[in-house]
Amino acid sequence: MTDSPSPQLNPTSWSRRGFLKTGLAAGGMVLAAPAVLRGQPSANAINIALVGVGSQGRVLLDSMLNIPELNFVAVCDIWELSQRYGVNRLKKAGFNPNGYTDIEDMLAKEQNLDAVIIATPDFWHAPHTNMCLKAGLHVYCEKMMAHTVESARSMVQTMRETGKLLQIGHQRRSNPRYLHALHNIIEKAKIPGRITNINGQWNRAVSEDLGWPKRYEIPADTLQRYGFKDMHQFRNWRWFKDLSGGPISDLGAHQIDIFNWFLGTGPKSVMASGGADYYDTHEWYDNVMAIFEYDTAQGPVRAFYQVLTTTSAGGGYFEQFMGDEGSVKISENPNLTKVYREDRAPDWEKWIELNYLRRSAGAPAPKEAATVDVRETAPLVAYDLPVVLDKPLHQPHLENFFAAVRGQAKLNCDAAHAFESEAAIFKVNPAVAARKALDFTPEDFKA
Amino acid sequence: MIRPLIFTALATCATVALAESKLELEFPPPKVTSTPAPIKLSNLEAPNTPAPDIMVPNDVTNVAAGKTVTSSDPWPIIGELDMVTDGDKESEDGYYVELGEMQQWVQIDLESETEIFGIGLWHYHAQPRAYLDVIVQVSNDPEFASGVTTLFNNDNDNSSDMGRGEDPAYLEKNYGRLIPGKQAKARYVRLYSNGNTSDGLNHYIEVEVFGRPVE
Repeated sequence: MTDSPSPQLNPTSWSRRGFLKTGLAAGGMVLAAPAVLRGQPSANAINIALVGVGSQGRVLLDSMLNIPELNFVAVCDIWELSQRYGVNRLKKAGFNPNGYTDIEDMLAKEQNLDAVIIATPDFWHAPHTNMCLKAGLHVYCEKMMAHTVESARSMVQTMRETGKLLQIGHQRRSNPRYLHALHNIIEKAKIPGRITNINGQWNRAVSEDLGWPKRYEIPADTLQRYGFKDMHQFRNWRWFKDLSGGPISDLGAHQIDIFNWFLGTGPKSVMASGGADYYDTHEWYDNVMAIFEYDTAQGPVRAFYQVLTTTSAGGGYFEQFMGDEGSVKISENPNLTKVYREDRAPDWEKWIELNYLRRSAGAPAPKEAATVDVRETAPLVAYDLPVVLDKPLHQPHLENFFAAVRGQAKLNCDAAHAFESEAAIFKVNPAVAARKALDFTPEDFKA
Repeated sequence: MIRPLIFTALATCATVALAESKLELEFPPPKVTSTPAPIKLSNLEAPNTPAPDIMVPNDVTNVAAGKTVTSSDPWPIIGELDMVTDGDKESEDGYYVELGEMQQWVQIDLESETEIFGIGLWHYHAQPRAYLDVIVQVSNDPEFASGVTTLFNNDNDNSSDMGRGEDPAYLEKNYGRLIPGKQAKARYVRLYSNGNTSDGLNHYIEVEVFGRPVE
């Protein structure tokens, strides 16, 4: 993946059914002849292990099964249920992986590994990543890099010391729609004009804590050996302060990373409010609202971000970059991605002709603006981005990682760049606790 | 849950008053995990479409509870086939059976011919997704080679090659799906699916069959 992608001039339409019928067409037959139809890994295949086969590990696994020339040799998870899932899923796909409970045991026995995919709970990211890098392996580690800034910094340092690749799972950085929005819409065409504000959010409805069936309970001594107080904490680790950073880290990390990536700089300060107001069983803040202040080459930018876990109201999850000539609203959900034109903006026809933009089918024609209730702001003319991701959301980022392992690409989100961005996220929870604005120093962004 | 909830009563026929109730499913709590994949299906019904009204005699029960389940996939990726009729409708890890890719089915042996009024179906509801080519059939033939009645079919393009269906695709939620049984008489219930919009696999949490023995 290059830094300056060209706009896609021949966009294709997304069809989930089409994907299933083509991408998975071989899958059913794989049951009968997996090695033939999946493609027996060649001598050039990358030997990989998946560490952590929970919900996120399975999302990554599904994406990786679409990528050729990968050889899955091991899966590792302390929960026998998840470990068995990984082994069985891969066996159905024609591989024959070994299952492990302990990563050190896996690294000792699997001598032919090239790379490891880590999707364990956040507080294990740094120990697992550092262990694998020092074992001479390339690593793709899920975001948030770690649950503390010191642990995240250690990952960058180990990456540098070992010379191995470390990609962090901010998958939007490999999403062609996001790349088009940044490099073409904002940087080349300068469609928003001067960006003055950003708004982002991820709101989810109330959800009960995750449970578990008694028959699959992990023994207490095993849980404690791996840092969990009990089964409830194991299943709901995202809500505990020693194990995770809470929703601002879990969900906000993706989107605040986009703020920093698109602006090309970190914030100078953050103020935030939040609280553990709703759930009795959670330690972390269930709702957080944060305001970041940036100094950019164009001038000051203020960015508001909210993550709410007690309501799904507010129109989904997105990041919106608002400028004096237009705004770019982008999301992993293509239906939420729009570009809006302010009346004072210069003519955008040339960008439509160049296929940077496409007029939205539902957009009101400019002349209709005269008929709206003048007591309200007239709706802005909307445009679409003519770029479609026709793969699972995480697949391009994994493809970038494996291309880098082969020496064919540069990582789209190596640990050093991820740390520069995540440094801003690490300071939100302290800002909530301090109940005041916290300033960033240049040292905050250095690893 | 064995018996359907009683909602209303007393429908009449020509000569006698027969106690009836509206069949309503009991729902597990909603759960949301991970980010759903975009869904674009031409036959997807609007979210929160009401379940059909099905009136059933009060001697109707969930006759599938604890009954034997077989499957087209003898080696599920995870879970056990008995989870399909164990009465547990949680959507989390450890509560569902996951079958392989492409078309798969589970089949419930009701052990005797049964008059079927309704079927409750939960695939996997911790993430908004739609299962493809959902087809529900009943028969007295365990091989489904003859005497097959189709109760539900949303394969609108006949991609599963079992005939085109007019029923809608639908989003999985904790509400499950209530399928009219049309008082079909059969011993076996077979439920097909052909992957889903998130990962191409086939999951079954619970199937309830509301009926009564054929006299």
